[in-house]
Amino acid sequence: MKKVNKDVLKDAANRLYFDMTDDQYETLLEEFDTIQSEFELMGQIVGVDEATPMTFPFDVSIDYLRDDVPEEPLKAEDVLKNAGNVKDGQIKLPKVVG
Amino acid sequence: MNFETIVGIEIHVEMKTKSKMFSLAPITFGDKPNTEVALLDMAFPGTMPRVNKEAVKNAIRVSNALHMTIDHELWFDRKNYFYSDLPKGYQITQQARPIGSEGYLEIDLDGEKKRIHVERLHMEEDTCMQHHFSDYTLLDYNRAGIPLIEIVSKPEIRSGLEARKYVEKIREIVTYSNVSDGKMEEGSLRCDVNVSIRPYGSEKFGTKVEVKNLNSIANVEKAIDFEAKRQSELLLMGKEVEQETRRFDEAKKETVLMRKKTDAADYKYFTEPNIPPIKLSEEFIQNAIDTCPELYDHKLERFLTDYKLNSIDAKIILSDVEFANYYDEAAKFTKLYQALANYMISEVNGYLNKNDISILEFKVEPKFVAELVELVQSKQINSSQGKEIFAKMVKENKSPLKLQKELGATLISDEETIRKLVLEVLAQNVTLRDDYKAGKTRAQGFVMGQIMKKTGGKVNPGIANKVIVEELKK
Repeated sequence: MKKVNKDVLKDAANRLYFDMTDDQYETLLEEFDTIQSEFELMGQIVGVDEATPMTFPFDVSIDYLRDDVPEEPLKAEDVLKNAGNVKDGQIKLPKVVG
Repeated sequence: MNFETIVGIEIHVEMKTKSKMFSLAPITFGDKPNTEVALLDMAFPGTMPRVNKEAVKNAIRVSNALHMTIDHELWFDRKNYFYSDLPKGYQITQQARPIGSEGYLEIDLDGEKKRIHVERLHMEEDTCMQHHFSDYTLLDYNRAGIPLIEIVSKPEIRSGLEARKYVEKIREIVTYSNVSDGKMEEGSLRCDVNVSIRPYGSEKFGTKVEVKNLNSIANVEKAIDFEAKRQSELLLMGKEVEQETRRFDEAKKETVLMRKKTDAADYKYFTEPNIPPIKLSEEFIQNAIDTCPELYDHKLERFLTDYKLNSIDAKIILSDVEFANYYDEAAKFTKLYQALANYMISEVNGYLNKNDISILEFKVEPKFVAELVELVQSKQINSSQGKEIFAKMVKENKSPLKLQKELGATLISDEETIRKLVLEVLAQNVTLRDDYKAGKTRAQGFVMGQIMKKTGGKVNPGIANKVIVEELKK
């Protein structure tokens, strides 16, 4: 299993367009150590490969549905802020189909 | 050798909700690019999907109209793929547990009903709009996240005609239930068809070809008929049908190759972890069904029995749900239902066509149309006065009774005034009485023509006829 260290976390954060303070990285690293040791423990259980994967660890069903009420959208300039190339208010890419 | 055509259809319907499937971005259509976008639509970290209640109600209503089993628990899945039309890298859909399953609809084939089974109906989010140019592509994220329902038929359709009827029926259901505007030409109802052929009597399916980009119901029929013919010609020449995706070229009226299909893409579906399973109560489902606007079949039945319209006129009016709703409103103000239908089909529809507008853009209140029909039918005005009032009414949205006064559009209905006019004609044409008594009934028409000429057509024809006959008999 790949060792999670601060560089790995920084790289992941960078790819996801955010950053954290050093304290936050330290906290996260400690949490990853716990997670990794628990995964290693689970790896020792015989027959775990045959178990049906679960998305939720227990019954988490809800009955919440959001009302169909729109809110103010992003400003177009914010939507386009991270785009490398913009034309006519749209994100411009190299042609994606032949 | 004769071949049987096998068709399965996947239809994507864009819902008319106010906000998107999982985000709060508004949907208004036709707005400037990238102005109806929320953080979630652009896949910013930390944003979470929240399921739109109205979209779920819509999916329940269409599932119910298609006689489907409705799942009482909502589960969503991620369909993973990397492409510029979805920044998240996956589309949220319902792969494992569609909200609707195992239903059917019936199409009418020359009076015979044929049942087409519908395998599944699920909710998902639309992708962004991509505009392709010669050497670049532009992305507009306004469409990304608009709620869709996908409806998948079983491969039980056997011709282009059956496919057309099937799509028409789906369109009818989604427009009448107010789930979608169902406009194929604008992409709010999109249709992909899978076509294969096999020798009659064979149980085994042939290689299927997918045809995309069908932007009208007529093209669905044409594309399938062309494709069946193309495939049978290939087989008769000893060639094989290849698994491929084609599109319909409207100008050439034929399908053309888009790409060869390799193995099915592996989308690595897994349950969407950001949306826990959502329980739908029986009460919620029943309420969605009970509050569904009246569907086509029910409305047709009502138009035939309550309004006693003839079937052809009823179907013309029902061919557009908004037009039908307008008729329903107008019918509250008159009992002359067939006359109202005739008037709407000829005068109102003619006006809409001439001005290239829909009934939603027609500014006249329904009760005014009913009032005008009453005026014409009771012969208080003649048809040319009716046209004059109509022309003014569409500009001013005023009551025809008021307009009648303003325009002085009245008919001479006083018997004695009419009798005087008739007697003048008879005095100038002394043989008319004898002609009439000798059986020449056209004398009656002649008198009517003369008094209409004298008054510029402003005599009440019903009363005039009565007086003319009385005088001719003397």
